[in-house]
Amino acid sequence: MRKKVICAVLCGMMAASLTGMAAFADDEAKTFTVGFDAEYPPYGYMGDDGEYTGFDLELAQAVCDLEGWELVKTPINWDSKDMELDSGSIDCIWNGFTMTGREEDYTWSKPYVDNSQVIVVKKDAGISALSDLAGKTVGVQAASAALQVLQDEEQQKALADTFAGLQEFADYNSAFVELQAGAVDAIAMDIGVAKYQIENRDNGEDYEILEEHLNSEKYAIGFKKGNTELCDTVNADLDKLLADGTFDKLAEKYELTDMVCLGNDDSEEASSEAASSEAESETAAETEMAESETESAAE
Amino acid sequence: MNYLEINHIKKSFGNLEVLKDISLTVKKGEVLAIIGPSGSGKSTLLRCATLLETMDGGELSYLGEKAVSMDASGRSVYAKPAELKEIRKKFGLVFQNFNLFPHYSVLRNVTDPLIHVQKKSKEEAYRIGRELLKKMGLSDKEAYYPCQLSGGQQQRVSIARALALNPQVLFFDEPTSALDPELTGEILKVIRDLAAEHMTMVIVTHEMNFAKNVANHVIFMEKGVIVEEGSPEEVFHSDNRRMQEFLGKYNEE
Amino acid sequence: MSLPQILSQLSGGMVRTIGIFFLTLIFSLPLGLLVSFGRMVKNPVLKNLFKLYISVMRGTPLMLQLMVFYFGPYYLFRMNIGGNWRFIAIILSFSLNYAAYFAEIYRSGIESMPVGQYEAAKLLGYSRSQTFFRIIFPQVVKRILPSVTNEVITLVKDTSLAFAVAYMEMFTIAKQIAASKTTFMPFVVAAVFYYVFNLIVAVVMEKLEKKLDYYR
Repeated sequence: MRKKVICAVLCGMMAASLTGMAAFADDEAKTFTVGFDAEYPPYGYMGDDGEYTGFDLELAQAVCDLEGWELVKTPINWDSKDMELDSGSIDCIWNGFTMTGREEDYTWSKPYVDNSQVIVVKKDAGISALSDLAGKTVGVQAASAALQVLQDEEQQKALADTFAGLQEFADYNSAFVELQAGAVDAIAMDIGVAKYQIENRDNGEDYEILEEHLNSEKYAIGFKKGNTELCDTVNADLDKLLADGTFDKLAEKYELTDMVCLGNDDSEEASSEAASSEAESETAAETEMAESETESAAE
Repeated sequence: MNYLEINHIKKSFGNLEVLKDISLTVKKGEVLAIIGPSGSGKSTLLRCATLLETMDGGELSYLGEKAVSMDASGRSVYAKPAELKEIRKKFGLVFQNFNLFPHYSVLRNVTDPLIHVQKKSKEEAYRIGRELLKKMGLSDKEAYYPCQLSGGQQQRVSIARALALNPQVLFFDEPTSALDPELTGEILKVIRDLAAEHMTMVIVTHEMNFAKNVANHVIFMEKGVIVEEGSPEEVFHSDNRRMQEFLGKYNEE
Repeated sequence: MSLPQILSQLSGGMVRTIGIFFLTLIFSLPLGLLVSFGRMVKNPVLKNLFKLYISVMRGTPLMLQLMVFYFGPYYLFRMNIGGNWRFIAIILSFSLNYAAYFAEIYRSGIESMPVGQYEAAKLLGYSRSQTFFRIIFPQVVKRILPSVTNEVITLVKDTSLAFAVAYMEMFTIAKQIAASKTTFMPFVVAAVFYYVFNLIVAVVMEKLEKKLDYYR
């Protein structure tokens, strides 16, 4: 009798774990599999109901609704994103994915968010400009765009060399605790993430974002190099979503209105120029920001 | 008919020649005691006879069936595994340190081979097992585990286990040397009772009482050869110098 | 965010964690026995092959093995690794990895058995497989139980390594909730979950040890 019970329990568990993965497995209709880092609010994260949500995922859902695809949200380990994309287990990386500096590695959609890399500090720390960071310890997420900027000779490597050290961390949660505890003096990250963290942390008012930005860069959807067909389809859909106002509504919902840049036709060009040199990138970014502001004002 | 026949057994471990051309026969109902100092080769002889050790030369047969035969140069040639399996049924062995199965109860130690090797019914196996345990004076211990028994009791269980399979020849490998001296008596009594029932037995022993009181044939071995053999009277009163030396040492102890 | 809410969000992950745990044990315990046999055969080629297997499995991080099993088939054979492969790869690498550890535990147990048990069984006419499964193996189990308990407890904690291939087991989800809610609460829940899980494992294994305590 006891053996039977144990058996039944085991079978139940197996069935449960099999159904657990069946979520990824079902492909009756044409599916569109989006790979994302589920620890990256507000672009992709776990909502209160336990479902994955976020600006990027809702945008992806809107694209799927247009095409009649079934959206498959596949959380990935950010460190393995290239292998996931390469091997075809996901169709694209859509998750606040920084295009700047990676132009040649993927087939990119139009950039839709203009994101700056910024520095977050404690308000009372006496750090008000990038130059104040000399001799300080700066935290940065492993394999993140901010880290790339700080390690790139053509971008902010010179600045990073003035730091006492670069402390890499796995997630923003622990980074903020380290900042709070004084283990690091500042954290480098995307502006969107920075705003989200400061608004949502219990002691968010203790932190501030330095006005001086590390750089300006763009988010786009990364497809496997050469997959232009899918990329073009999604680009066309993004245009439609912009035209019918869905895109701006979503941006408003996630408080990203200041940052979205879809529809700025020469943004792609500008961003590739941005990578070429530090000085240029800043000017380009500024011009571009100004342009997008004028445009949206005109609309 | 000879129940056990050994001809010209040779066995070496590396360069060490342990058995040098040993021959002996045991007839039905006979009790053979093999004595000799440590390292004389008597245990190796017994292990070759029970097929636990492979011999290099010579032949071995039970009740006329050849387990090992000799080729032209005298080297041992073993029978096919299936034949050896049949021949193994003809003898049993009682080990020096019992080798009971510690995870089985006393009764199960005796009955498990009956059920799973001889494919007897459980009822019959239990009947045979209980009968033998009664004979060994262990009726009240059938549910015990070996670790709960004294050495003498464990050795009696192992004798019951060997007898359960109804062997024609029963070997004993120094059956009392792992026991406290005061416990050897109970084993001696069991073996004497078996002798009275005309059980054919080969006993390798240090215990001269066994040889004197139970055996009707004694072999004295030293350095891999048989030095003296015959009836207990003949061997124990032999003029052979080495035999006398051995007995002298033994008596001093 | 309330505790019941965190618990309900983590519950799916817990089921998957428990799934990895039991499936790994179900496959690796028998597989380990086979590997230990391979490790003990006389044929030197076969024996060294199994030695190499054990050495690689124990000598490289499980996280790396997970990634090799998950992504390897695509890079080696251009196999489509969609669908169930993520889960299959996890169970495969966990089972193969733990089988290597269990194999060495089995081997230590089997080699510690006195030769007299084999000889007695042989004399009584038991076949080779009967000797192993009726006489040797039950005693080996008793001898190796404490080492097995150690491995099983490690396995409970190792399930969290499945995050390397983004399988949504409990700890991965805990990290996601922590990220979206900017709180450490899910980690506290995760710690309690692992602790209670291991407490149950320890109690069950102790019961098992007690049950085998009837002989020495």
